Amino acid sequence: MREVKVDPMNTAFARTMEILTYIGLILMIVPGLIYILTGTGYVDTVKAVENWGKSASEFWKSTKGIEVHGYSWFLNNLSYFDCLSIIGIVILAVTPLFSMIASMVKADTKYKIILLIAVIEFVVAIVRPLFMHVTGH
Amino acid sequence: MDWWFWPLSLFVFTLIIGVIAPISGVGGGVLFVPLTTAFFPFHPDFIRGAGLIMALTSALSSTPQFTKKGLANIRIIAPIVIVSIVTSILGGLVGLWITSAFPEGKYYITIMLGVVLFVIFAVMLTSKRVEFPEVREVDSLSEKLGLKGAWYEPTLDRVVEYRVTNMKIALPAFAGVGFIAGMFGLGAGWANVPVLNLIMGAPIKVATSTSMMIITVNDAAAAWVYLSRGAILPIIVIPSVVGITIGARIGAKLAVRARPRIVRYIVLGVMLLAAVLDIYKGLAGLGYVPKVF
Repeated sequence: MREVKVDPMNTAFARTMEILTYIGLILMIVPGLIYILTGTGYVDTVKAVENWGKSASEFWKSTKGIEVHGYSWFLNNLSYFDCLSIIGIVILAVTPLFSMIASMVKADTKYKIILLIAVIEFVVAIVRPLFMHVTGH
Repeated sequence: MDWWFWPLSLFVFTLIIGVIAPISGVGGGVLFVPLTTAFFPFHPDFIRGAGLIMALTSALSSTPQFTKKGLANIRIIAPIVIVSIVTSILGGLVGLWITSAFPEGKYYITIMLGVVLFVIFAVMLTSKRVEFPEVREVDSLSEKLGLKGAWYEPTLDRVVEYRVTNMKIALPAFAGVGFIAGMFGLGAGWANVPVLNLIMGAPIKVATSTSMMIITVNDAAAAWVYLSRGAILPIIVIPSVVGITIGARIGAKLAVRARPRIVRYIVLGVMLLAAVLDIYKGLAGLGYVPKVF
């Protein structure tokens, strides 16, 4: 017997993850390679190399004169390939969230509640930087 | 030195890690962070950010296939990630707070990474793997959650059914692992697999596959912390992800032909060396020992 009946919760999770991972990978790698090969972007590659030994906060002060709290540093600069590549990373980072939501649809009440808690935690992780600056500054 | 030297070196470096990882059985993510910290000029903030994205990408790429076969099970990970999402975010926050709040934070993190690497080395060297652990009794929580599943095992030509137990005992372990993964940007298979296999009684294939599923959720949650602090740079992430992905495909093909134990011991030796170098680099940065590299 080779047929295994896979739990519909797992099937929904896998399908969603598969599709979003493909999209995320393409969006991350293609613009990322263009950025590296052309050497120009929101952060010029030469400047990036000169400053990547500094902490993240110092890096952004030195290269762009900004303090980074949240996501506007790449969302406001989507015309640059390096920031576009970050959108691919965003899709990858949101993939497990959507996979859990897809799985919730097929879950029994018990697992609906458990997954809902995980989903809420995940959403809080995403929106937390928008209203909290727990960075030591 | 031209600017493209380091991205190119990073690509070659991660390509080699990608080839070696499947042959040695040591995760690429766990090699990347300590070795890059020891040998590359990047700040640990960016190395940990890249490490998280690398571990996330490889886990996302393999999890759907494992899940469709019945090897990775969301019923097992759902209660675990409720705890580990929180701790992995906390780990990311603490890690970035240390480097931004203290002028010497970079060196503290490097020393801590070296110490964690010693622990990982000890776990990898001593933990045993049980292919099909026997689960005689299932605790009440695991029973209520229906933590069981099945997959077709080609080597046995039959469907193997399994059930897991000890969820209450395993949860604190996953909490700790989530924190370390978030703080250092490490893949956490080295710890997830023994807990799932030896404590919860999951067959080894289920343990490795379900561990990947846990990594997708934990590392994605922690990645938001790094994204919001600007600690993810495409110039470091892209060569690393492309290098390790190509390398892993080559490595997986080579691993089918041969997995000499000597390669595993060499890689574990390199890990030990990286641990020593990371601790030395951190101590040298703090001025406790002379700088030699």
